[in-house]
Amino acid sequence: MKSLLLLWSLAPLAWQLYTSLVTPEALVQGGGVEAGAFWTLENYRQVWLADPPIWRYLLNSAVVGAATTALTLTLAVPCAYGLQRQGGRLGWLVTLALLATAIFPTVLLFLALLQLARALGLANNLLALSLPYAALCLPLAVLLLRAAFADLPPDLEDAARLEGLNLPRRLRHVLLPLLAPSLASTAILVFLFSWNEYPIALTWISRPELLTLPPAIARIAGSSLFTVPYGAFAAATVLGSLPLLLLVLIFQRSIVSGLTQGAIKG
Amino acid sequence: MKEQRLKPTLVNSLLMLPALLLLAIVFAWPLLDSAWLSTQASSVLTGLTPLANGGANWQRLLGDARFWQDAAVTLRFAGVSVALELLLGLAMALLLHQPSRGRGWLRALTLLPWALPTTVLALGWRWIYNDPYGPLNAILRACGAAPFGFLTTPASTWLFTVLADVWKTTPFVALLLLAGLQSIPAELEESLVLEGASPLQILRRLTLPLLRPWISLALLFRLAQALGVFDLVQVLTRGGPAGSTESLALYAYLNAMRFLDFGYSATLVIATFLLLVLLTALGWLLLRRRPLELS
Amino acid sequence: MAGSGARRRLTPGSVLAGLLLGLVLILVPAALLAKPVAAATTVRVLMPSPFVDATAALVAGFNRDHPNLKVEVARGPLDTEAMSDLAIGGLLLGDTGYDLLLMDVSWTAKYVAAGWLLPLEGLLGDNALEAMVPGARVGNAFGGHLWRMPLTGDTGLLYWRTDLMAAPPRSTQELEAVARRLQAEGKVRWGYVWQGRQYEGLSCVMLEMIHAFGGQWWQAGSGRAGGHTELDSAGAIAAADWLLHLVRTGVSPEAVADFAENEALQLFAAGDAAFLRNWPYAWREIEKGGGPVVGKVGVSTVVSAPGVTSGGTLGTWGLSLLAGSPNPEAAAEVIRWFTGPETQKALVLDQGYAPTWAVLYEDSELQQKHPLLAVQRQALEQGPLVRPLTPLYAQLSDLLQRQVNGLITAEGSAAAAMGRAQTQSAVLLESAAGQEHP
Repeated sequence: MKSLLLLWSLAPLAWQLYTSLVTPEALVQGGGVEAGAFWTLENYRQVWLADPPIWRYLLNSAVVGAATTALTLTLAVPCAYGLQRQGGRLGWLVTLALLATAIFPTVLLFLALLQLARALGLANNLLALSLPYAALCLPLAVLLLRAAFADLPPDLEDAARLEGLNLPRRLRHVLLPLLAPSLASTAILVFLFSWNEYPIALTWISRPELLTLPPAIARIAGSSLFTVPYGAFAAATVLGSLPLLLLVLIFQRSIVSGLTQGAIKG
Repeated sequence: MKEQRLKPTLVNSLLMLPALLLLAIVFAWPLLDSAWLSTQASSVLTGLTPLANGGANWQRLLGDARFWQDAAVTLRFAGVSVALELLLGLAMALLLHQPSRGRGWLRALTLLPWALPTTVLALGWRWIYNDPYGPLNAILRACGAAPFGFLTTPASTWLFTVLADVWKTTPFVALLLLAGLQSIPAELEESLVLEGASPLQILRRLTLPLLRPWISLALLFRLAQALGVFDLVQVLTRGGPAGSTESLALYAYLNAMRFLDFGYSATLVIATFLLLVLLTALGWLLLRRRPLELS
Repeated sequence: MAGSGARRRLTPGSVLAGLLLGLVLILVPAALLAKPVAAATTVRVLMPSPFVDATAALVAGFNRDHPNLKVEVARGPLDTEAMSDLAIGGLLLGDTGYDLLLMDVSWTAKYVAAGWLLPLEGLLGDNALEAMVPGARVGNAFGGHLWRMPLTGDTGLLYWRTDLMAAPPRSTQELEAVARRLQAEGKVRWGYVWQGRQYEGLSCVMLEMIHAFGGQWWQAGSGRAGGHTELDSAGAIAAADWLLHLVRTGVSPEAVADFAENEALQLFAAGDAAFLRNWPYAWREIEKGGGPVVGKVGVSTVVSAPGVTSGGTLGTWGLSLLAGSPNPEAAAEVIRWFTGPETQKALVLDQGYAPTWAVLYEDSELQQKHPLLAVQRQALEQGPLVRPLTPLYAQLSDLLQRQVNGLITAEGSAAAAMGRAQTQSAVLLESAAGQEHP
């Protein structure tokens, strides 16, 4: 059963990896190619040296991801704290609103956000893109962190208050260090989201050199007029997946526990 | 100290304010704006400036065969793929819950399809479905069968688009259900085992009832997302052939970005939103008879 | 266990630190990568990738000769639709950053109505198009203004196999009969391949077929939409019916329903089809490909039903001046040079595109190096077909594609499909009538 599960999950990915590493002839003819003409790194060379090169998209995505993560956590931590301490009717309403926005499909926002970008001159700006991204990530981040705050022993903060620490210092020196695991898994999930977001990036970014990875890949997909260079496509998809693949594998425990803990408490 | 002079509610509200403000700008304002725009003619014919035209857009929507076809496509897509995802996700979650060596790795690897960008994977699926050079056709060829155009006819394109979506999002459902499984105390299961219950009986009598809130959550979340399906169809099929995979979101997008008809695009956005509210409310009522415990 | 717990706590903390460090590391170079300030007047041009490659040397030469005027070319995607999406994306955001845009002929009316283009007659003169072949002048000027200077004069063409027949067919009937005979003799797997995918190429095919059967897609008239459609006329239905018939009887493969230019070309170049409908570029592609049909390909104008004379769809690219360009005069100078004979000659030789200047068709060197020139001229003189000249063309085209693609991939009759296309077009145009400025 487990190998079946792995096959189901990984076979399509493995096929991309394979495609990216063989010559077009090998791809079309299968095994009937002479040994020297089978494996190749040419596809990677091609996307690496393309105009604009793929590392540019990866860099853009990383910039947006980092900015989004920083902004989201900055806004989510106080909000989660306030929400957890608040409780009651107001807290219930806010939580309900957060849940509703958390399940909301973001594509329905593209039209109005396009006008917003135009009106405020936020188009073609990677840091500006992190504003809507942060908003889209906030519901999940706040819900996860609220659950984490709820988990902390209440005496702890009272003790810190008695020692004369004000709120920012209590957060900074007492609460946040204990929250580090939750912060980390939230950060990773936010980064994942912003790395993968497509419709808003598609409408906010029009300059080729500023594209993030998802619209860039989609554009590559739509640009095959004269040839169908699947090897190069595959190389692009592998390079585009690699950072996330590493992130997921290295922090698998954080991600899984972050999501499951959040779901249990939220 | 300053903060002790302030009421706790005020402090808490102030702490929540920046985040809620951003949420209002990015979620509430667009919906209001689109609702307003849906009562305006704002297209290439008006020089892209809004002119009030009453209910003309809505009237057009009701008579638009393409809207109804897309609504049917979207509903069918959401219904079938979410149902499959719940079934497969449950099986996956049960498998991932079993204690075993390397369970963490197994969970992480299973999660990969969910974690990677949809557009990247959609491009990958397009190659997998390729006729005649894709791997699926290579397998068919090895079995002596004729190559099959997976993305050629409306029926098969729709089916294989659903498959790609199921592959991509099932891990997320599995993860949510896994969280549910972890919250079930092991003693309960042990006592049932002592009573001599079979694994199937345990699933039916203990696991499924206790998983219910998580199943509801997964269902609501996935249903809402699937009704807004966009990335996958835009890259994999572009809505074709013959509009068989065009979702409402894709139609709204085309109206804005290709046809330059913002009034009608906004009408489609709001119509999709209303559909979404209706269906999630319905799902909520059906699956969650008791009110949500939020505190 | 305590140790591992401590380790676990440490790791996520370092993640945060790592992310913040990453932010700093990334933002600093990003800031450094900001655009340098240009000294001379720079005219920025956005065009599809093949044009960028074909003109790179010429642009470099221009920049050498003009110290005070720089042409900066941005590479767009290959595909027409992707190119359009990119351009519109920028224009809607009010942030294109370009002075000139190389546009497909079918976009012009929409861009003009959206107010994105500046008229050119004041900058280039009222007779800027005069020295062009008549067919290439179409679709560039309307509403009393010149909106675009064509760089190519491409039309749809019929490719045929010189090794399988002595002369190209002159009617749809003849084409079908020849194709069927060759298929029966086992000379080719398929008879006729064309573009049947749900995309703009299918609209180009349909425009040719509707006219080939004596109908018309668009009747120009009054109103902001600029006319009405006639998709349920006998000619239009006969056109759709013929395409359906080709697929049903196996003259065309069922897979044409998923064919764009390239797929059809690949099949023809592999020697698997007797006839191909494509643009002039296909000639160079086949020659370059070195496949089994090199040297066995003839090109002629597209066929019509017996007794009807029709033409190929006009699929030209041309330069337009975007509103908001800071230097319209300099941009106009670049247009004049870019669409001039020198650039066009390079495009003919490199890409096989058809030129627009009459003088180039007389150029003996070009005639020698590019055997297609004669048929390209003939196609342009035969009265090429212009797609409906209305700002709503994108919608009209989209709904026609949907119906015709649906017709050849699913059940139904041509009359029903074209009837639906006509009804939907009428509804669209009617709703548009209500959007007129008061």
